[in-house]
Amino acid sequence: MMLKTKTLAFEIGTEEIPAFDLAKATTQLETQVAEMLKAARIAFERIEVYSTPRRLIVLVFALAEQTDALAEEHKGPAVSLAFDDAGSPTKAALGFAKGKGVEVGALERRRVGDTEYVFALKQTPAQKVAPLLGALLEKLIVSISWPKSCRWGSETAFFSRPVRWLLALLDDEVIPVNFAGLCAGNTTRGHRFLAPGPHEVSHANKLLDVLSAASVMYSQEQRTQTIRSGIAAVEREYNLVSELPANTLLEVVNLTEYPSVLVGSFDEAFLKVPEEIIVDALLKHQRYFPLYDSKHKLTNRFIAVSNGNPDCAAIIVAGNERVVRPRLSDAKFFYEEDLKRPLDYFVARLDTVVFQESLGTMRAKTERIAALVEHLCVAAKLSEEDTTDARRAAYLCKADLVSNAVVEFTSVQGIMGAYYARAAGENEQVAEAIAEHYRPRFADDAPARLTVSRLLAFADKLDTICGLFAVGQGPTGSSDPFALRRGAIGIITMLDDGLGVGLYAAIELALDNYGALVADKEAVAQEVAEFFVTRTKVILRERGYSPDVIDAVLAVGIVEPAQIIARVRALSAISAELPEAMEDLATAYARANNLADKTLGSTVDLSLLQSAETALLDALQKAEVQVSGFLAENDFAQTLEALAALRTPIDTFFIEVLIMDKDEALKNNRLRLLNRFVEVFSPIADFGKMAKTQRTDTC
Amino acid sequence: MPRDTDVAGETQTSQVMPTFQDVIACLQQYWSSQGCVILQPYDNEVGAATNVPATILRALGPDVWKTAYVQGCRRPSDGRYGQNPNRLQHYYQFQVLIKPSPDDIQDLYLGSLRAIGIDVEKHDVRFVEDDWESPTLGAWGLGWEVWIDGMEVTQFTYFQQVGGFECSPVSVELAYGLERLTMYIQGVDSIYDIVWARGEDGTTFTYGDVFLENERQYSAYNFEHADTDFLFQEFNARESECLKILEANLALPAYDSVLKCCHAFNLLDARGVISATERMAYILRVRSLAKACCASYLEHVVGESVGVAAQESAEGKGNRDA
Repeated sequence: MMLKTKTLAFEIGTEEIPAFDLAKATTQLETQVAEMLKAARIAFERIEVYSTPRRLIVLVFALAEQTDALAEEHKGPAVSLAFDDAGSPTKAALGFAKGKGVEVGALERRRVGDTEYVFALKQTPAQKVAPLLGALLEKLIVSISWPKSCRWGSETAFFSRPVRWLLALLDDEVIPVNFAGLCAGNTTRGHRFLAPGPHEVSHANKLLDVLSAASVMYSQEQRTQTIRSGIAAVEREYNLVSELPANTLLEVVNLTEYPSVLVGSFDEAFLKVPEEIIVDALLKHQRYFPLYDSKHKLTNRFIAVSNGNPDCAAIIVAGNERVVRPRLSDAKFFYEEDLKRPLDYFVARLDTVVFQESLGTMRAKTERIAALVEHLCVAAKLSEEDTTDARRAAYLCKADLVSNAVVEFTSVQGIMGAYYARAAGENEQVAEAIAEHYRPRFADDAPARLTVSRLLAFADKLDTICGLFAVGQGPTGSSDPFALRRGAIGIITMLDDGLGVGLYAAIELALDNYGALVADKEAVAQEVAEFFVTRTKVILRERGYSPDVIDAVLAVGIVEPAQIIARVRALSAISAELPEAMEDLATAYARANNLADKTLGSTVDLSLLQSAETALLDALQKAEVQVSGFLAENDFAQTLEALAALRTPIDTFFIEVLIMDKDEALKNNRLRLLNRFVEVFSPIADFGKMAKTQRTDTC
Repeated sequence: MPRDTDVAGETQTSQVMPTFQDVIACLQQYWSSQGCVILQPYDNEVGAATNVPATILRALGPDVWKTAYVQGCRRPSDGRYGQNPNRLQHYYQFQVLIKPSPDDIQDLYLGSLRAIGIDVEKHDVRFVEDDWESPTLGAWGLGWEVWIDGMEVTQFTYFQQVGGFECSPVSVELAYGLERLTMYIQGVDSIYDIVWARGEDGTTFTYGDVFLENERQYSAYNFEHADTDFLFQEFNARESECLKILEANLALPAYDSVLKCCHAFNLLDARGVISATERMAYILRVRSLAKACCASYLEHVVGESVGVAAQESAEGKGNRDA
């Protein structure tokens, strides 16, 4: 039998919701609506959620007219506990019945296995859905969580921005939903200027049609497509290419209800200003997309996405071009002003910029970076010449933070410093290091090109991480305002790429640089080292390495990310190449490690050995020499191959030798041999963590 | 400056183009007809029209309040000796504050744009997220910057807290940047080319005629000549004065000293004599004075028990953060 179903349309009409908050709320709503309906046992076929800056829309199709009936069964205490000797209900029974909302007399007895228990049985009959919807939708409104929300007028309700209308229709019937002094009706509003409305909606199935007719592209997806294809058309027409950073695109999509793509231009004379500032001015400040020629050189054209009347494109373009002009002339003015002063002037002014409240100024940070770079140049065995450049770049790297151009256009930090450095006659390596020392800036961003730049980036990031940990401002949960995790990932990426400096020594020096600001240096150094180990682990997992292998390597307590990564890589490679051998070896290791009695030591009495034992000892001696040699060269692949050679002797040993001999001397000697076996592995990884059978062995 | 096209792209005679003072007159007329008290500029240095007591103090408490006024604002560090066409150390804002915020405030605002000759249907008018916070006043709100064809012309804010106290009901504030708006309407690229007044005989005064020398002299004063010893002394003296006047429960005159402290601080900042570490300390000193004035205003003018308000505001903040 087909049950009767209806369509539900719900619209929250608002003043303009911030672009990113809107995107998050839209995603949230899809799951929230489904959960809400499931919890209320209201069947439906599908949910559609749409949004524009001025509205959130939920459509539920084939919504059941009645809720599903519910039969619940709750198992309670055993009958022996539920009733006393006189047959009266005990506290346990009374409490259980009350908790489940049934009369104690209604409890049923049922046998489960050998015991009889009381059961509470509850029947919730099917209910009409329509009368339930008002309250459910009111709850839905307040259940949306916003990064920031506000009150308005005399209302006490909170929402991202003021709510101005509500529409709630079940087919053609208005559902009363009350929120912030509003009561839902059957009217919606169109595009603010093209078709403001109000517009009546006769049936829930008609809402989207009404909105389309009122110049509202209600789907984020559709707006994105419209903008993308509009941009593609422009690219073809002008034979230019654009770049669409995902964030800016999303913002533009969620700043419009009826987007149209326009092309504007600016005076070519501005192209003399460094490209990066122009791009910042267009993209960050105005949300325009810059256009490049086929050689990826910036041109004087840009794309603006309008929410206005497409028939008025000429006026809107002219207006936007007028906005660009003062922005770019500002940029030009700032750039030219900055060029009038030597970079040293800006370095001196860095003491007016706070790095972090408890950690002093950017000037002080510059000095710490310089000290750290000095150490790193030695560690990395840099040439005299490179060291001089690194020193100079460290001194100048933050100078542009107080330049006019960077104060105004923050995203060009570093890049402007490089322009100014070149203009001041600094050499190319110094300029490049200044430009690139913020790299890698985000996940998957490439590290700087040159070693000098990388050492500078390393010093800058490590100084920030150590300083903030020292004042207890390390990242917690989702809060990482100084992007320390990203900084650590940058450092690890560079180390893995062969930077050739030790992290731990650098951490200690970075902390020394802070002097008295660091209360307990050892504790902080430990904390920072652990932070790096955790980040390394996350990186390795993201790269798809098995958690067992990662744990095996971490278990031996290495803290240098480069070593951790190299070992995990080698161990994974050999496990893939010789899977059986490695599994066997891991099993043997786990077995040996479980039996091992460290107190006995590992000095074996040769006179007591049988042949299988002698074979193992020989193999061990050979492996020991190889392992220590390869380890010294950080050659983990060879190290592991040396260990793999132990597979046959240890297997034979376990098969042929009875370890727990009645003769105490024999037994202890064999245990000593096993200790020695375990010791060969111990500097490399805890192989037991990779053993599949480890668990059964130990239990 | 001669011109022949207006924002709508239509040819017009220069007689019809609104002058700077026409824009002000139209806005005053418009908001006056919405029932706002049209105030004259406050006679004390302020960094923004928000800092005027008619906004910041009147936003506190339950009473209905509607006002609109032009306010000269001083930002000493923004001076450019009259050489930058877009920056001034003294500029004008047109401020509107309405409590409680009306339900149709966005439409009312768009009406004000129409009143100054902007045909909003022909343009791309956008409300772009921009949240406002004033650390010195312990105040914050949510809202937008309003864009016309990509140009930011107004700050639009629903006040949530002032002086650390929850605003209930909520006021809405509109702050129009008059120079920028007029540049847009007149189609000029330099502030100094704005036509300020035009007589029937064609006599024209530009913004430059009125204020260029002012910008040159004040930039030199702000950056080079202001006596820093005197300013430090003034800051301290005004701080003591504020606290003393608060003891007499006179929030309004006490608040004048807060504004004097702010201005002295801004000048010292422009002179480059406040180090980064001292900076925060000065801001905190101003904030605690501003908060004390708000508390006194609430207690003695509005008649609210401040202890309760402070507690509510703390809880409110907690809710939002969560």
